[in-house]
Amino acid sequence: MMINFSIGIFLATLIVSILSTRLLKLIFWYGVNSFFLGLLAIFIGFKQGDSVLIFSGVITLIFKAFTIPYYLKKFAIKFNLKRDVESDVKVHFNVMLIPVLIVFSFYLVSPFAHTVGQNSNYVAISISSLFLSLLLLIEHISVAPKIVGFLLMENSLFLLGITATGGMPMLIELGVFFDLMMAIVVINLLLKEERAI
Amino acid sequence: MILFYLTIPAFIIFFVSFFEIDKAKKILPYSSFLVLLPIIYLFLVDKPYNLIGDYMIATKLNTYVLLVSSIVAIGVILSLITLDKRVKISKKGYIQFYRFFATFWLGLTVSILSNNMGIYWIGLELATLSTVYMIKTNLSKRSISEAWNYMIVGTIAISLVLFGIILIYASAKPVLAEDAMNFQLLLENIKYIKSKTLFEIGFLMVSLGMFIKMGFFPMSLWLANIERASYYPIAALFSGILESAILVGFFNFSSLAMKINPSGVFAFVFIYAFLTLFIITFLLFKAKDFIRLFSLSGIEHMVIITLFWVSGAHFAALLHFGAHAFLKPALFLSSGILEFKKKYNFAGTLKGFGGFYGNLFYYLVGFLILAVISLPPSPMFFSEIYGISAIFSIALKSKYMLLVLTFVLLFLFLLSIIFYKFIQVYQSMKYEGEEVEKVVYVNEILSICIFALATLSLLSPLAFNYLKGIYE
Amino acid sequence: MILYIFTIIFFILSSPFFIGVIKSLKMFLLYKKPVSLFQGYYNFQKLLCKENIISSESSIITKVGPFLVLSPLIVVLFFLPPIFSKSFYVGFVDAFTIIGLISLSTFFLMLIGLDSGNSFGGIGSSREAFISSLVEPAMVLTVFSIGLMAKDIGVANASVNLAHNFPKEHMASFLFSAISFFILLLAENGRLPVDNPETHLELTMVHEAMILDLSGFYLLLIELAGSIKYIIFASLFVSLFLPFGLELSPFLAFMVFVLKILFVSVVIALVEINGAKLRLFKVPNLLGLSIIFSFLSLISFYVLG
Repeated sequence: MMINFSIGIFLATLIVSILSTRLLKLIFWYGVNSFFLGLLAIFIGFKQGDSVLIFSGVITLIFKAFTIPYYLKKFAIKFNLKRDVESDVKVHFNVMLIPVLIVFSFYLVSPFAHTVGQNSNYVAISISSLFLSLLLLIEHISVAPKIVGFLLMENSLFLLGITATGGMPMLIELGVFFDLMMAIVVINLLLKEERAI
Repeated sequence: MILFYLTIPAFIIFFVSFFEIDKAKKILPYSSFLVLLPIIYLFLVDKPYNLIGDYMIATKLNTYVLLVSSIVAIGVILSLITLDKRVKISKKGYIQFYRFFATFWLGLTVSILSNNMGIYWIGLELATLSTVYMIKTNLSKRSISEAWNYMIVGTIAISLVLFGIILIYASAKPVLAEDAMNFQLLLENIKYIKSKTLFEIGFLMVSLGMFIKMGFFPMSLWLANIERASYYPIAALFSGILESAILVGFFNFSSLAMKINPSGVFAFVFIYAFLTLFIITFLLFKAKDFIRLFSLSGIEHMVIITLFWVSGAHFAALLHFGAHAFLKPALFLSSGILEFKKKYNFAGTLKGFGGFYGNLFYYLVGFLILAVISLPPSPMFFSEIYGISAIFSIALKSKYMLLVLTFVLLFLFLLSIIFYKFIQVYQSMKYEGEEVEKVVYVNEILSICIFALATLSLLSPLAFNYLKGIYE
Repeated sequence: MILYIFTIIFFILSSPFFIGVIKSLKMFLLYKKPVSLFQGYYNFQKLLCKENIISSESSIITKVGPFLVLSPLIVVLFFLPPIFSKSFYVGFVDAFTIIGLISLSTFFLMLIGLDSGNSFGGIGSSREAFISSLVEPAMVLTVFSIGLMAKDIGVANASVNLAHNFPKEHMASFLFSAISFFILLLAENGRLPVDNPETHLELTMVHEAMILDLSGFYLLLIELAGSIKYIIFASLFVSLFLPFGLELSPFLAFMVFVLKILFVSVVIALVEINGAKLRLFKVPNLLGLSIIFSFLSLISFYVLG
């Protein structure tokens, strides 16, 4: 039940962040999104008795839910990013597009639903959240929401990793986290240079 | 331990970049030659040779690609010494260029040698992120916006790759448990996989991500724009090292997929490649500057390599890959020299090179340009003959013989348009425009010489035998 | 039956109190000196003492309208879910009837606005029509999906079913419809992101514009109708989406219910102080969100299983 609940909140925050028009709110929703992702990993880890999954859930909680949003917010204030992030796609189209994407991903999963067992719906949700974060990436022109979209995409890939495979090997998870940190460093440097010009 | 020796030059560059770069950069080419020693050792030992457990393995394919990319890296480091004389670069930018070049090299060494999808991905992502910063060292508005572009499109591409890897892992986990990411084990046990569909969707995603990174169909001008906006060595690094790493991944993934559904993979890659080549040809015909020209022709060669690989002509694909990986960086590096006085211009760029080095450069550029469009002494000539004959043999066996043959003929027609364009450019470089005095530095001519010699050495019987022995 | 009657009387009497709670909590959080919790009752007393002035331009609608605004809402009160386990309740009335009755009340409110002598009334009415037409589809979808989860389309039956066997397997779907319903609650009651109940700024007001002309007893009726509408939505929300505490002894059950309503009021106050009012043409964005969530809830009910 808790798994169902947190996966619901995960999707809900993703949708809210697609429709939100303020950068700081977008970052806040990213934080909430990753928070419930971490909780989800911990729940599934306890259910399967998988200590690796619990560990990576805790790392997700610490880094993705608190550290990265904190730094993003700091960047947004420090580099005076444009806070008003209107999307190029109108809301009316989004209202139609989002359900269509979600339903489509359920159809996409149906050919191999039997192989992933009872998790097939979760796999469908994570694939649809991948599409939704791609939508977030596409529909904005300015840079900052694109970064958040990229981070959300990373989240949905993590969700896919949890639900489709029951957790990736430890080494890979750590590597992915390392690369995420590196991405944040690079973003910081890029923003700094952009201001210098 | 070997892995440690392999990464020493990259670490040396990384540490040197924290000190006074002007004096220290002179020693970097020598230190980078050190990388050849462990590679020669890897060539001599029995393969597959475990570097770290079975996470990283030196196979025959890996070692060859590693050698190619290391030679490219050495050549680029050599030519980097005089980067500040060719372009305007701040001191800090120069230092950071070296630093991120080191992480780039490190990441790609890891991903070339990896025997594990996850580690392969991590290396590639590390390299992608460090390239973003290298693009940005050219402090202009244009290059920063292109750096953001690279960051976003590159990460989308690489996320698609991760997505595919997760799906493949999910499909293979019931058979192999935690080892499902291991390329070699997966290749042996691929026939036990139950859900072929899941694997195929995964492969589709992986190859889509890789195709975006290589600049295939919808993203054709993306790479060219980025290479134009950044300093010219970056283009050399892209075509020489980054694409080798991506191609190694593609070779590994596609040989997995070929065991499951060979005709499907062939059809998918063939259609995609044809579409790409169709668009590339016209873009290339319209190209007005060297970097765009070479970068688009790089995409063309990627198309050819992937096509040869999936049609079973492994030898041809590897030979073509090696030749391209040597020729294209050399061309990019020489384009920095050719465009020194005036950018966006072909006419007369090859005029005005005096002295011994100048004359040598004149002949080398001629050799490179004629070699890259596969005129006979070039290895590309042989690889294309082998490859096209392999596609013909596939076509003769299949049900759609006429269709495939028609497309192959169209393919050759498009290639001949590109051939014509290159000849035209070469003519205009040699005979048109006015003469301007230009200089060539020793290190540049040395690095181009290394590339030319490496290309010619691919023709030796030793190299031929080695390449043929990879997939016997 | 006694409990049933008691519930209805409690709803009518306590409704100004909960509105007062929201108002004073908001003032407290904004570092103002909060008004009394019972300010609503004082206002009613004041309005009772005042005389009725009716514009000479207006017709009989203005005289009859306020009663017609209030009476459908009073009828709805009889159909609400029970708050005690053994109390009587009207089970057969489905949510569509309730929505229809509420729309009827809104319709008369809009008529009053159109009938009034000044030009703001018409603006207010058209805006109200705009918003309530957007609310409708989301409302129907939400109610339908919660009905599916509770295996009964009747509201009261649904809430009792939910209280007895909570749909654990449909947690995601449940969550989505809760979010959707909460947005609808804000929109229908004229709370902050959609309409600011406290200003009389002609550019923004929706609800206030329609009742600008009324005074005295008629204004009292409309105000009472507003607060009853709030209590209807709040009680629907708590009994459908926070379905617990029904099986306790009557006194405890009552206390739990009051606490839940207070909780909803506090949440609304927090939402209101944290957000600014949306421009009228951005309201579809918010309600679009609500439509998406209600649709998602329906999808995930069928697919997540």
